Amino acid sequence: MSDFLASLTQVQQWISSLAARYTVFFPTPHGEANYRFTAIGADDDVRFAPYRPTITPPVKLLVPAREELFRFQHKEDGDLLLSPSVDSSFRVIAGVRPCDLKGIFLMDLFFERGVADPYYLARRENTAIIGYACTTPCTDRVFCAAVDSLDHRQGADLFLTPLASGEILVEANTERGIGLLDSTDLPPCEDGPARKIGAIAARPETYGRSFDADVQSLSGIVEQYWDSPLWDKHTERCFSCGTCNLVCPTCYCFDVRDNLALDTVSGSRTRTWDGCMLPGFAQVAGGHNFRPQPAGRQRHRVKRKFEYLPTKYGHGPVCVGCGRCGRQCTVDIDIYDIVHDLIEGGKS
Amino acid sequence: MKPKIAFFDFASCEGCQLAVLNCEDILLDILELVDLVEFREAISEKALRYDVAFVEGSIHRDEDIARLRDIRARSTYLVALGACACNGNVQARSNFVAPAVNYAEVYGEAARNRVQVDPEHWPLWAHTRVRPLDAVVKVDAQLRGCPMVPSEFLHLVKSLLKGTQPDFPAVAVCTECKKNENECVFDRGQTCMGQITWAGCNSVCVNNGYVCDGCRGILPDANLAAHLQLLREHKVAEADIRSRYRLFCGAEPIGRGV
Ligand code: SF4
Ligand code: SF4
Repeated sequence: MSDFLASLTQVQQWISSLAARYTVFFPTPHGEANYRFTAIGADDDVRFAPYRPTITPPVKLLVPAREELFRFQHKEDGDLLLSPSVDSSFRVIAGVRPCDLKGIFLMDLFFERGVADPYYLARRENTAIIGYACTTPCTDRVFCAAVDSLDHRQGADLFLTPLASGEILVEANTERGIGLLDSTDLPPCEDGPARKIGAIAARPETYGRSFDADVQSLSGIVEQYWDSPLWDKHTERCFSCGTCNLVCPTCYCFDVRDNLALDTVSGSRTRTWDGCMLPGFAQVAGGHNFRPQPAGRQRHRVKRKFEYLPTKYGHGPVCVGCGRCGRQCTVDIDIYDIVHDLIEGGKS
Repeated sequence: MKPKIAFFDFASCEGCQLAVLNCEDILLDILELVDLVEFREAISEKALRYDVAFVEGSIHRDEDIARLRDIRARSTYLVALGACACNGNVQARSNFVAPAVNYAEVYGEAARNRVQVDPEHWPLWAHTRVRPLDAVVKVDAQLRGCPMVPSEFLHLVKSLLKGTQPDFPAVAVCTECKKNENECVFDRGQTCMGQITWAGCNSVCVNNGYVCDGCRGILPDANLAAHLQLLREHKVAEADIRSRYRLFCGAEPIGRGV
């Protein structure tokens, strides 16, 4: 739509200033070695570097870990009163990296298609996103380039690209994005597209970890595996804790339950994050568990990310290569290593 | 008719019963719906049959076994209340020390001699093997934790009132930690029992800057070999590992080293 130029300081100050008007989330240092998307105050220090993927991805702001869907009450005359709890408050998520932007793009598909999810869509519609390009791999775990998410831009209202000159290229992609810039007085940039190409060319040639197979071939490779000792190899130490699911920007499964009030006729229905690595995930009424072993669960998880959902949606791997799962698994089970082994195994 | 509810305790600090009393804002409403017939902490009435018995504490002596069996026989539904009743808790550490050593340590040499020579005290001497309730009788539900978690207590009470199956998912504390977006204890350079411990506490210890010590007991399908290896990789000394596993779970297979 339109491009502007700004200094890093200008951009950082502008984001702080947005926090005086709106609820703004930004990746904020947490603990000894982590970041979390946290609501910032107008006086907070906004700094784009250093960065490593937040503990949970920004999509947590669109599908919270726990949310109330509606309240209910059975009346004595047989009527059922329902009051939905849709959240349509306006927020800004700033500093969203390309992998997480791709994650949100995919989540948009999952929650729109089929049975549209009003809770997700209400939040999504009222969330402005300010993306930020990466220039160097943020950790040694990432493989975003190998799964085609490093250059993802779609879904951001504004997208910021740091240039070699030290300036920031500000791309406004939506009216809402332009609106967020109204308090600034940034000069337009005429040669935005050329500068973007320049910024991409200035990145290291091998960006993060790569696969010895191109991205289009991945689903075909993964499809070849069903009975394979590789699933056992990559779950031998698994705790079935579900961390890999819960920290993933493209895992969307949830569990729904009712919380009764003491009168046992009223209460609320809530949903919470669920995950296919958790032992009871595929257990059905009557007690049968379709995937009682971690290896079967791991196969399912990898196939969802690299075979089933790519085939269903046609937007490439449903893993954005952020490396969160591998880094946060306490026993170092890394989806990159699994896919790497599948590629290797297929060759021999 | 209102369900008859009773509370009993064995070896414990009675902190779980206190935690029940601490559900102040809803306790009176609950009492409207049930008939509380036995609760040493609050009342002194007695009854012959109970619809639901909440039993706190671990089982040590022969007379404890007899008393627990009697409670079981008179109860339709029996709930193990808290870590002592569910997994033996810290007192199960005494399973690994000869009684004579424990007596001398706690009460001094004189007391140790007395239990040996005075028949009045022999039952004490004959103590003990600390066990959770389900090592002795059938347990219908477990309210885990030291102390038990009020929200789980309420969930159980509501489920029983409604006649539905209470649901305590067998997932690890890590699951709750991630939902709470805690920094992993391992990222802080510490180690944790969260991977193999029953969730349900909302990862309260890690939320508050501590680590999970496993008070809620070990998950049924926990990968114990992987956990042992993990602690070793993080250079935890063998004696410390043993002590850690026995802190709350000395009466469980992990604490016994099997
Ligand atoms: S994070 Fe690691 S241990 Fe936990 S379920 Fe995933 S692969 Fe298994
Ligand atoms: S599967 Fe792992 S690397 Fe891929 S998007 Fe999810 S958390 Fe990131």
